[in-house]
Amino acid sequence: MAEVVLSVTGLKKAIGRRPIIHDITFEVYSGEVFGFLGPNGAGKTTTIRMLVGLASVDGGEIKVGGISLQDRFPDAIRQIGCIVENPELYKFMTGRENLEHFARMSGDVSPERIQEVVDFVELTEAIDDKVKTYSLGMRQRLGIAQALLHRPRLLILDEPTNGLDPAGIRELRQFIRKLAEEEGLAVFISSHLLNEIEMMCDRVAIINKGRVISVGAVDALMEQFADRVEWTFSSADMERAVVLLRSLSYVSEVWTEAEKVKCRMDTDHISTANQALVQAGIRVEGIAAKTVTLEDLFLSLVGGGDGHEEHDA
Amino acid sequence: MKSTMLDLVQNETIKLLRRRRFLVIVLILAVLIPIFTYAQYRQVQTAQERMGTSDWRALLTQQIVDTQNRLASSRLPEEWRQYLKIRIEQQQYYLDHDINPNAPGGPSFARGFMDQAIALFLPLMIVVLAVDLVSAEYSEGTIKLLLTRPVRRWKVLTSKLLTLILFISLTILVALIMAYLISGVIFGYGGWNLPVLTGFEIVGSELDTSRVFMIPQWQYLVMQYGLGWFVCLIVGAISLMVSVLVRSAAAGMGIMMAALISGSILTQMASSWEQAKYLFMVNMQLTDYLAGTLPPISGMTLPFSLTVLSVWGAAALIVAYTVFIRKDVTS
Repeated sequence: MAEVVLSVTGLKKAIGRRPIIHDITFEVYSGEVFGFLGPNGAGKTTTIRMLVGLASVDGGEIKVGGISLQDRFPDAIRQIGCIVENPELYKFMTGRENLEHFARMSGDVSPERIQEVVDFVELTEAIDDKVKTYSLGMRQRLGIAQALLHRPRLLILDEPTNGLDPAGIRELRQFIRKLAEEEGLAVFISSHLLNEIEMMCDRVAIINKGRVISVGAVDALMEQFADRVEWTFSSADMERAVVLLRSLSYVSEVWTEAEKVKCRMDTDHISTANQALVQAGIRVEGIAAKTVTLEDLFLSLVGGGDGHEEHDA
Repeated sequence: MKSTMLDLVQNETIKLLRRRRFLVIVLILAVLIPIFTYAQYRQVQTAQERMGTSDWRALLTQQIVDTQNRLASSRLPEEWRQYLKIRIEQQQYYLDHDINPNAPGGPSFARGFMDQAIALFLPLMIVVLAVDLVSAEYSEGTIKLLLTRPVRRWKVLTSKLLTLILFISLTILVALIMAYLISGVIFGYGGWNLPVLTGFEIVGSELDTSRVFMIPQWQYLVMQYGLGWFVCLIVGAISLMVSVLVRSAAAGMGIMMAALISGSILTQMASSWEQAKYLFMVNMQLTDYLAGTLPPISGMTLPFSLTVLSVWGAAALIVAYTVFIRKDVTS
């Protein structure tokens, strides 16, 4: 079992008297990419600000590598590298001067380590240019360089693909996978984009309105909401059809909804199931196969219209 | 190895220099001091023309004779007599050392410059240095990277404060050196040992001249620039607080300028409103206590003004630290 790098227990935050984060709990292990998924305004950024010590914690505990962030801030934050929202660096200094600035704050970062990180994020050519001449992609990479400088065990990235073009997103994705798989880093990524999380992450926590709705492996979550088949029968045959479908081994869940019988099953088995029903003398009036994406899962979990709230930043 | 305060101060120094704040101040001084020098030069010329003679020795001898005649009068109060005796001594020194008191050298110009600059001009320079020391980190978003390092927040703010103190000291030093060097081109570089009268005491609303004495001008300059440094430290502390409280550099600049300028307005008209003496901005003309000018409000003395300024500075730092340590960083 991989080591727990970040453990968050019962995290709470209120602004004035209004609670905005209620009891958030999850763990992140070394070598995994952990997705933090929620619509804009769900409390992702607020949670991240608490994880990196930018915002105070009103309840609960954050531990990094077993060290409490609230009690021993320098020792805990030393293990974290982060980019909160955009990587805003000092534009009037060069890339290298920015890295040297943060290296001096971290303590034991050698000039060799700075060069190593610069080569790693492929900024070798431009590192002695002023940051104001950098493109967004280059700033993003410099941001990652400053986050990796002090060899953290946990990398926290807030909406890292914001503003990147498709090529940049692909590059970042490979980069993040590499960090987790080869360097054994725990990577924590927040996003409001489902496909992003689906492609990058091993596990995901889904949050909405300041609460964790679900935590689990991305695959397991997808499985739970495996493909769905909707059957239409004549009303007289409904009950018998439900009993029969439940008896089939490859059907996992059966329920009726709006004059339709719905079940979870692999779409490959539709014809076999249909045959069984017809043989039992049940009239099948319609079959519809629905492939469930994380998107559907997400919407069904957080409920429709919430994806369009204002950004919480 | 942990990062030391020296590392943090080095960071802040690099940022301050790269933002070209100190360069701006040096340039302002480099432009304005020659202008002030020329103005002073014209003033000296006009004074000589009005006297109708350019022979200052004759004038000074006449003044000494006049004063001696007044001393001969028996009705003169004792403390006044004492003051006049010292004045004669001073004027005699000018004559003996062949110094024209109306055409001072570089050190005298530097003295006059600090008298004029202590309450408004130099504090404004300090505001330029200090007002976005913290707020720029917020408005540029770099605060998020600055505060997610293994350094406690109070240390981050302390490094900024130490850097500010360093550059305030440099500003005072550069002002003195430039005032001396630039004005010296016209007035000459002599005059460090010129006797200057000080030791005035304020009793109630009266000036007590009974303990007046002479000190060489260089000593006077040390005291004067020391007081200027102190005033600038307090203005720096208050600007730092404003920088923590106000996000925008423009708003911070406006607040500080309004406060400083209201100080010079209040000193003109507040003599009947006694409580105004507890405001920091009416207590900044510290060099007046050395020169023996009556304070704007009765009851103000040098120790009083130093105390008022210290209390304001300490309060500003307490507010700055408390807010900086407690405040959540939001965008």
